[in-house]
Amino acid sequence: MTLLKPVAVVTGASSGIGAALARVFAANGHDVAVVGRRQPLLNALADDIAASGKARPLVIPMDLTRVDSPVRIGHELGAHGLEPAYIVNNAGYGLVGRAAELDRSAQLAMIDLNVRALTDLSLRFIDSLARHRGGILNVASVAAFLPGPGMALYHATKSYVVSFSEALHTELAPQGIHVTALCPGPVPTEFQERAGLDATKLPRLLTRSADWVAQQGYDGLMRNRRVVVPGWSNKLLSFVVRTAPRRILLGATDRAMQGRAAPPPRWPKRRELD
Amino acid sequence: MTARPVVLITGASSGIGAALARLFATHRYELALVALPEPRLEALADEIAAAAGARPTTLPFDLTERDVGRRIAERLVALGAEPEFVVNCAGFGLVGAAAELDQTEQLAMVDLNVRALTDLSLRFVDSIERHRGGLLNVASVSAFLPGPGMAVYNATKTFVLSFSEALHRELAPGVRVTTLCSGPVPTRFQTRAGIRATLPRVLACSPEFVAQEAFAGLMAGKRLVVPGVGNKILCHLLPLIPRAVLLPGKFWAMRFSTQPPARRTLIFSRRA
Repeated sequence: MTLLKPVAVVTGASSGIGAALARVFAANGHDVAVVGRRQPLLNALADDIAASGKARPLVIPMDLTRVDSPVRIGHELGAHGLEPAYIVNNAGYGLVGRAAELDRSAQLAMIDLNVRALTDLSLRFIDSLARHRGGILNVASVAAFLPGPGMALYHATKSYVVSFSEALHTELAPQGIHVTALCPGPVPTEFQERAGLDATKLPRLLTRSADWVAQQGYDGLMRNRRVVVPGWSNKLLSFVVRTAPRRILLGATDRAMQGRAAPPPRWPKRRELD
Repeated sequence: MTARPVVLITGASSGIGAALARLFATHRYELALVALPEPRLEALADEIAAAAGARPTTLPFDLTERDVGRRIAERLVALGAEPEFVVNCAGFGLVGAAAELDQTEQLAMVDLNVRALTDLSLRFVDSIERHRGGLLNVASVSAFLPGPGMAVYNATKTFVLSFSEALHRELAPGVRVTTLCSGPVPTRFQTRAGIRATLPRVLACSPEFVAQEAFAGLMAGKRLVVPGVGNKILCHLLPLIPRAVLLPGKFWAMRFSTQPPARRTLIFSRRA
């Protein structure tokens, strides 16, 4: 049997929290494989990490909304003599607007990425994670803790991620596999642009940098924390929304989302459409 | 010519779905029933035809297929029908450690419980609104807590709850959106999931009772319906219990409610 080298696989590593996580894993001496859609950005990140004196990450250009992508990632790793010790499911996106009016196939693709690919990658490499006493870091969001009118699908996918990861945390503990759900508040990255959020209107009190959030996520995973919510204000928020009445929350979220949608107003009320 | 309104019910061939179909039929709604192609779907349609007069349209489709939403929509157009109510009842669960259950089946669960439900929830909003109808999504009390021993299932139901509650707000007041969070109901669900037939007595409700509660809640435009006093209390308590206590407890509970030894050892044996 050939020995495969352990590697930390980071998805959605082209930019934002994913790129920051790849850097943190590399800085802590892990070999890294970066997965994303944009090869030039991944190459630049890999060069950057190599220039800092660490091993150059393996670049795997891949669109994770494709159903067969997790299998192909496995093949790609195997072909380079690697197997996962850590899986970092960071790839994901959100869309702002009323679910009935947003493009339906884009929303179903969000499920394929945020839910299906994450579940697939979390479960596919368990044997290898156990062999290396590694772990799974699933990037969710504080959006997981409350339903989100104006961002309904995104909030729902993230609540899936937290529920699934918390259950896995308990199930995989006997095998020595760490499982952590990272639930950041707003982090200024390309996420906002893709979602249709106005990046200048992020709530200052809740906003943290990608680097800091990535470091918190890494530390939490190493200490096998079940859920990591970076920042005291986000911790407070996630505690409050867990106990607050849903009816009040739904109204508040709805109004907050409408205030943050990027101009021009791309979010008409259903009745105004008729 | 305008299309005639129908009630589209998925997972209609048994359990809560069948009970809901009978209930809508007794209230004189025309039905379109979606289920896997199997004899009991036609049998139910015959039974309803005998009792209520009109025979429901049967749509034998596998909802785990990715383009099934489009194909259902095309069939309805061909039949000159369009949904007035959509009832997403189709779903299944699997008991066991996620890492040891069949992965393809678990991803099919995501495709059904999450993807198909979302597709059908959003696809017919215009026609639902035209007919002043509504959307009923079937979740579970499992939505209120993560489920070690049933990880993917509980997560899919958490998705359904979050998504449907947001939709309730987004589509008000033109479209009613109700989430049904039932406790254990003795149906084929348990057999499929691998749960022993003995359900917690205080929580268990009959499919007919659950369907009745859901129907009334949907018509009244309620956001959430939790049938049974025991389940209502459970839903309020679960978010308050610290997860660190709840999760290991849940894992042990699942361990003892699964089927006899052969399966249990398979599921819970530790890897070498």
